[in-house]
Amino acid sequence: MSSILTTLSNAFFHHASWKGYWEPVVQRFVPAWRDGLYRAQVKDVSMLNKNTTALTLAPDKQWPVHIGGQHIGLTLEINGRLITRVFTVASDPLTLKQTGTIRLITRIKHDGLLTPLIPALENEQWVNISAPQGAFTLPRHSKSTVMIAGGSGITPFIAMLKALTIDNANPRAITLYYFAKENEHVLHDELALIAKTLPSFSYHLLTRACHGDAEHYLTQHPNADWLVCGPAPLYRQVVDVAEIANSDVYSEHFGAPPMLTSNTDSDTFELRHNTKVLEVSSEQTLLTQLQAKDIPVNYGCGIGICHQCQCVKKKGIVKDTRTGALSDSAEQLIQLCVSQPMSDLELEI
Amino acid sequence: MMNYDKLATQLDAVKHDVKQSLGQRDADYIRRVILAQRLCEWSGRILIMLGFIQPLLWVIGVLSLAVAKIIDNMEIGHNVMHGQYDWMNDKHINSRRYEWDIACDGSSWNRVHNYEHHTYTNIIGKDRDFGYGLLRLSNDFRWRVKNLWQFATYIVLSVLFQWGVSYHEMAAERVFFGKKKENRKNTMTHSELKRRFFSKGARQVVKDYVLFPLLAGPLFLWVLAGNLIANLLRNLWTSTIIFCGHFTGDVQTFKQEDCENETQGQWYYRQALGSSNIEGGNLFHVLTGHLSFQIEHHLFPDIPAKRYREIAPKVKAIFKEHNIHYNTGSFARQYASVVKRILRFSLP
Repeated sequence: MSSILTTLSNAFFHHASWKGYWEPVVQRFVPAWRDGLYRAQVKDVSMLNKNTTALTLAPDKQWPVHIGGQHIGLTLEINGRLITRVFTVASDPLTLKQTGTIRLITRIKHDGLLTPLIPALENEQWVNISAPQGAFTLPRHSKSTVMIAGGSGITPFIAMLKALTIDNANPRAITLYYFAKENEHVLHDELALIAKTLPSFSYHLLTRACHGDAEHYLTQHPNADWLVCGPAPLYRQVVDVAEIANSDVYSEHFGAPPMLTSNTDSDTFELRHNTKVLEVSSEQTLLTQLQAKDIPVNYGCGIGICHQCQCVKKKGIVKDTRTGALSDSAEQLIQLCVSQPMSDLELEI
Repeated sequence: MMNYDKLATQLDAVKHDVKQSLGQRDADYIRRVILAQRLCEWSGRILIMLGFIQPLLWVIGVLSLAVAKIIDNMEIGHNVMHGQYDWMNDKHINSRRYEWDIACDGSSWNRVHNYEHHTYTNIIGKDRDFGYGLLRLSNDFRWRVKNLWQFATYIVLSVLFQWGVSYHEMAAERVFFGKKKENRKNTMTHSELKRRFFSKGARQVVKDYVLFPLLAGPLFLWVLAGNLIANLLRNLWTSTIIFCGHFTGDVQTFKQEDCENETQGQWYYRQALGSSNIEGGNLFHVLTGHLSFQIEHHLFPDIPAKRYREIAPKVKAIFKEHNIHYNTGSFARQYASVVKRILRFSLP
């Protein structure tokens, strides 16, 4: 049925989906109803410290339940603009079943577009969320697990650990190293509670100023599974140590992805798109450059997660800023926000 | 002597102010218009099928469907495809995805209208919208015998306007007939142009003249006739509004050599002289897609059209200061002026 409607709306009503065709009508009766996204209602907003908020949301029943450690896109309509940012779900799936809610813990970026508005969200207000995504979950069979959290990178670990307090099928030793600025560690009480229920779990609240780098702690756990979530410098440090210690690293790093520049410093290339020929440089992502040139593009999280800026590259080579991997030169889908031009390009945006 | 730099600064400031203030009310407005369009379209299509109960229902249905098509083409399609609502970051309401309920393929429109016509407005030899290659509307064109009956040509063009718009790019590219022009940079292959022309055209024909008539069963012909008339009304309306915006008596033309290395101020000046406005009420403006503010539209094609109303007095004041003629008038006056122009230039 749905594929028939999609075909009909494609062919005769010129919309990519039937839901999209009716969206402005349905929105009249069902607030924030959007094609391709789920709805969620704000149940509570509270400040954990001066820079961190906890947002409790009740997703629609249709929302596919997440696995501890996964993230979602949160979309708000901010003065007419749809803005998306990605956050880890900082609550476990069982809580969702029991209370119907999930929790997002976010650090407020004061110059950001979305996070400064979270404290102002009103109870019962409707927002949009994406389906849960991501493969950053607790490895199933692991004797010893080390968690390294940086700042708001604590969130996936809370979700994973809480799930273990309810169903600990594969007991294992778990050590959490939680780095944050002084007095900015959040959710002490929850960690203490988890430690009580899970005897094999221990945690350490650390600040770099007092306790130094992660390296010192990590070398005590060779041959373990290391899970790291935090800013890019922390991630890189962990990866370096892991090579020496022969440990597997599972990671999730948000925030601005590291920008890789080419060996030949700065190059300018030609970008063809529709009738236009633009000059682009190898020093910034395609999204940043297209936006600066007022080329209409859809965008979302800006860090390669939500795929809203995805488009077809017809020709040319781009570098993935997250991994440094070069694309091949044939036609393929790329995400503008994490693509850095490496040759002349032709895009279908 | 015109102070083009000052003109540019003043008009840029108007544009900047509006862009700064874009927000929720603009987003709510376009969604409300889409809602109205859906209601008109579907109530129209249903009423047309109920004509067997009472023929008046059929009449109302046809009018309702015609209004739906006009709103889709003018206030939604034309404006969304100009990128007026791209800032909303909505995946359906944006210039790349939006496709309208008309025979013309949206991307062809974006190339010929948004790019050629809006960039090279009324430059003879560059802007094919000036007379559409069919009508002689100024002395820039040599008189030919066929111009004698160009009023009839104009009527035929209006009746078939959606097909004219659809065929426009292929005519320019000489896909089927004529000698290739040298000043055209091909961005699309002819086979791709043909494929899109036939694909979009066929889907429109199937929808209005096969699919919905078949759904009506025994009322096949009623629905077919209703849809045909709705499309005809839309064609006549859009054509009339567009002619009133571009081909009134005072609208001027330009030579290619005059427009080389044009500054922003000179570009604004050319847009100002190449367009004319129509006065009217709220509903009239909505049904024209705010092309009743053709001057403002040509100065600022990517500002949400509803805002043209509030900037019109400012634009008028700036024009007055620079002694630029602000070409506006009632619908009757502007249309009479168009008819006069078509007739005048049908003679040598």
